[in-house]
Amino acid sequence: MTSRLQQTKGGFNFDNHVRNTMMEGKGMGIPKATKTGTTIVGLIYKDGLVLGADTRATAGPIVADKNCEKIHYLAPNMYCCGAGTAADTEMTTALISSQLELHRLSTGRQARVVTAMTMLKQMLFKYQGQIGAALILGGVDINGPHLYTIYPHGSTDKLPYVTMGSGSLAAMSVFESRYKPDLSREEGISLVQEAIEAGIFNDLGSGSNVDVVVINSEKVEVLRNYAKPNERGVKEASYKFQKGTTEVLKTSIRDLVDIKETVNIHTTEAMDIS
Amino acid sequence: MSLRLAPSSKASSAGSASVLDTSNSYGLHDTMRFGMRQIASEVSSKHPLENRLAEWDNTQMELKMNMARNMYGMHAPIKMAMERSLVIQARGPSMLPQRSNLGLDILAGKDESIDFEDFLNVPEMSTDMVDVHVVMERQLGIRA
Repeated sequence: MTSRLQQTKGGFNFDNHVRNTMMEGKGMGIPKATKTGTTIVGLIYKDGLVLGADTRATAGPIVADKNCEKIHYLAPNMYCCGAGTAADTEMTTALISSQLELHRLSTGRQARVVTAMTMLKQMLFKYQGQIGAALILGGVDINGPHLYTIYPHGSTDKLPYVTMGSGSLAAMSVFESRYKPDLSREEGISLVQEAIEAGIFNDLGSGSNVDVVVINSEKVEVLRNYAKPNERGVKEASYKFQKGTTEVLKTSIRDLVDIKETVNIHTTEAMDIS
Repeated sequence: MSLRLAPSSKASSAGSASVLDTSNSYGLHDTMRFGMRQIASEVSSKHPLENRLAEWDNTQMELKMNMARNMYGMHAPIKMAMERSLVIQARGPSMLPQRSNLGLDILAGKDESIDFEDFLNVPEMSTDMVDVHVVMERQLGIRA
């Protein structure tokens, strides 16, 4: 075992960088990371906000996960939808969720959405876009509902309705034609569902079911698999052959173990009570 | 006086590596103690993020010091640096790797935050050990 001169620091390890560039030069690239393809949306309605996401994760042309969760918990009053590399979005949201909890314990107050946005933005800028996480952050705090988009390089937008991911254009077309301020809860949820379904049916990277999260100042409702427009049909015919299709010509049974049944009769002796 | 927000991606020491770090009494790299080593790969083609992340904390500290100096006067960064050195000195003069310095963490604000270095490649979990003999030899000036 080799020894070192200095203690290694934690965090990301770049030791394999030289080897990887050499391998890429020779034609063997890095394996494709699981991306989320994705359609994720958010909109602000009268009392709060609604977040929506599809549930397909892709690894190249293959569907890696037919029902993955793209809406991640950040704080009791904040949720974050993630598009891009699946591992990056999950790790990033988990890390920021921990940082927010530490921050909340230190301040003693409910976390504000802009705090989470600043933490995410500074972290993504520090890593120069190498962390492929495009996020829609939504939450309700003391100042009302807020909806932010955060891009992998660290830029952010604050908007009343947002879409991200490969299906963002399909979803945005639905929003642009039908969004108006002060929607009711039902109208908001149905608009989000239509936008996600536009992404599911028109984009190859998005598919399967619709997840919805509704956040207002009192409570958060996580509606996992709110709509399932892609249920698998039941097969009408079966390929199984019925018993008796093939004629049995000869039957021979060979016991691998000798089975002997013996009956033990215990002669119970009378109790000796002398 | 630099108000740099983020470190540059090129190492400031212009990427120099020396065989003398791991040399034995013959002056060459000691393969038996330290394993294989390629100086060429250490000098050229580093990942653009490597230097940025390694210098991140120091750059942020320098930014804070410079801004404090501009806003409050010379006494502010001097006081900050004094508190830092007190906490480092309290551990005693030793180059050997020891437990994490809680005082330093508190001054840097790391006690209230969590980052990738706290759960990815945590030094306590690494299988490589720092060779204390080599470190002591280096410190005392005795060469193998």
